Amino acid sequence: MDILFGAIASGILLGMVLALVALGLTIIFGLMDIVNFAHGEFLMVGMYTGLLTAQATGMDPLFTLPLAGAIGFLLGVVCYGGFVKYLLRGPMIAQLLGTFGLMLLLRNLALLFFGSEDRALHHGLLVGKSFDVGMGIILSATKLAVAVLSVLAFCGVWLLMNRTKLGKALTATALNRQGARYMGIPTERMNALAWGIGGSTVTIAGALIVNFWSVNPYVGLIFTMIAFTVVALGGFGSVPGAFFAGLVVGFIMEIPGFWDFFAITFDIGWMADVPMTSFKYTWIYVAYFVIMLISPRGLFGWKQ
Amino acid sequence: MKISSNCAQLLVGIFLLTALVLPSAVTAEEIKIGVLFPLTGGAASAGRELRSGAELALEIANNPMPDINMAMARNAGIKSMGGAKITLIFKDHEGNPTLGADLAKKLILDDKVHGLMGAYHSAVTKAVSVVAEQYGVPLINDSSTSPELTKQGYKWFWRTTPHDIYFTKDLFEFLKGLTEGKVKGVPAVPKKDIMSLASACEKTEWGAAVSELIEKFGKDYGFEVKKSILYAAKATDLSSEVRSLIAVKPDAMLFASYTSDAILMMKTLKDQKAAPKLLWGQNAGFEVPEFVSTLGDTTVGSLTRTVFIPKIALVKPVAAKVNAMYKAKTGNDLSGASARSFTGLQAWVHVLEKAGSLKPADIQKAANAIEIPGDELVVPWQGIKFATTGDDIGQNTLGMGLIGQYQKGADGKIDLEIVYPFNVATANMIYPFPKF
Repeated sequence: MDILFGAIASGILLGMVLALVALGLTIIFGLMDIVNFAHGEFLMVGMYTGLLTAQATGMDPLFTLPLAGAIGFLLGVVCYGGFVKYLLRGPMIAQLLGTFGLMLLLRNLALLFFGSEDRALHHGLLVGKSFDVGMGIILSATKLAVAVLSVLAFCGVWLLMNRTKLGKALTATALNRQGARYMGIPTERMNALAWGIGGSTVTIAGALIVNFWSVNPYVGLIFTMIAFTVVALGGFGSVPGAFFAGLVVGFIMEIPGFWDFFAITFDIGWMADVPMTSFKYTWIYVAYFVIMLISPRGLFGWKQ
Repeated sequence: MKISSNCAQLLVGIFLLTALVLPSAVTAEEIKIGVLFPLTGGAASAGRELRSGAELALEIANNPMPDINMAMARNAGIKSMGGAKITLIFKDHEGNPTLGADLAKKLILDDKVHGLMGAYHSAVTKAVSVVAEQYGVPLINDSSTSPELTKQGYKWFWRTTPHDIYFTKDLFEFLKGLTEGKVKGVPAVPKKDIMSLASACEKTEWGAAVSELIEKFGKDYGFEVKKSILYAAKATDLSSEVRSLIAVKPDAMLFASYTSDAILMMKTLKDQKAAPKLLWGQNAGFEVPEFVSTLGDTTVGSLTRTVFIPKIALVKPVAAKVNAMYKAKTGNDLSGASARSFTGLQAWVHVLEKAGSLKPADIQKAANAIEIPGDELVVPWQGIKFATTGDDIGQNTLGMGLIGQYQKGADGKIDLEIVYPFNVATANMIYPFPKF
């Protein structure tokens, strides 16, 4: 039973972490309808910001979050204003190829400046701490912190979108750009703002994540994939949907844990021999494929 | 006018004379060896070690250093080729087999190297060995341990390091010794207390081979391998892998990991409060200096197989001397990686000396015939002699491994102590593994 509880707890934590990673994409892609393949690279920028600032100044990595958020906001706004804005005038394919190019650019800049080595934080308030709460549940302090931040960030974005004028303006821009402009909404500024908020949430996530995962210039790829799955699963345009979808993906990544539980509890020999951990990420791609096949609009989506 | 024409004649004369005389006087033949190591990427720290080891050997080979008791230290350059100097051309393959093969081709076709050395990652070495075989260029492999590499029957491939069949057998000999009370400072452990094993190995050529060997030898020696996990060395998160290991409650946890994943594995084990009685790593990530410098006390009690432990210096004067030079150069002691790249280049020097020419066929013949005595090596082997028949062609038949344990000395420094072979043990073993 310990194995089962351990896997569930870990799935929930991981799910919240992934939901936070995907929040930025939920705003940019899910709400504003602009594809951003460079999302994982934004995360990488956040991870490097957290890591390098902590290492250079000797401060605890936790205190680098505001800086990472500011850099992410700037990055988002600059990317939008200097680049994506022009892509929106072209067909959809321009967005796809354009942000793909942005991804390659950011990744290769990171390679140029930081090299391809894996880097990790080894010291910090939360690094390497974990709590054993019994029943096989061991919570890592850093993941717990990310999970808390994840819940807060989602609540914040939900409130922003549903309870403020700004949120209404953002939604209007996403639904019908031309119509919104006729109503006097500065759509360009709304899009830039969405990119800024999206960028800062993901870089903050990155600066936190670097407390327990190592970073290299290629780290964005897997997270882009996961984030797209989360947005697709949750449904385009749904903030709570993305949070829920993050949890589901967290559980999907814990499939090896559940598998172990069945193999060991019921002593099933052939199950124990299947190398499930080798296929850890495969299930995410499978899930993405299945969702696209069954419900292209996602589970909670409202957008056409 | 007359003077100047005389001058011109004189100049032409001098020029012709120098042109005729110089080549034989300087014998400027340069021996180029292409060296492929992972200088960036997840195993970059091992790559740096490997490079420094090879560079030190080069320094000793190209300059006379009579106070070191090695054949290559006595001469400057290769004596049989008129003192020709060796040049190493380093290339970075980033742990990527495709890149490794491309770089090998480049070295052969563009740089016109006379031989190759490398490439650490077994998967890369395999790709490079195919290229070397195709072009008929000799490749001496210093540090890749997948047994498969010498099972291909290649004619241009030699390996100085013992491979994982030797090392994994060492591990099980050690476990057997543990149950028989042969380990220094540990009374015989009942076999049932160390019966169940679980392994996690990275899933390329090397780790996958180790994983299979652990299962095979486990069966042969009567241990139960309860779980064998293969994971991606580039994974950012290993928590589900670690929980999977802990779930079967193994007595011993066994790993084959490169640098960054070895560190992540140890951190995650600590995070998840794993409590094995024994923790063993198949060198690589478990013996690079970063392993201790980043993890600190967490490493105390963990075991790693290796081919070099600085304590060897106590019994091998030549190792002490070379280790001192290496430490002066890099600030670190020699490790399994640097000691093996050093030895790999040393083998190259012996081969070239014996060949006396740069014709591939002569080098091939020489490599098959050399015999380097053990007392010239920094590693604790009986020597280097390559198999020319049988099913392990090109493999050094005189190699052997060590198992070391990280222990904290009186000065608070964490060092590897030899615990296997039992007769050269330098300290009492810490058993069971202290809790994280």
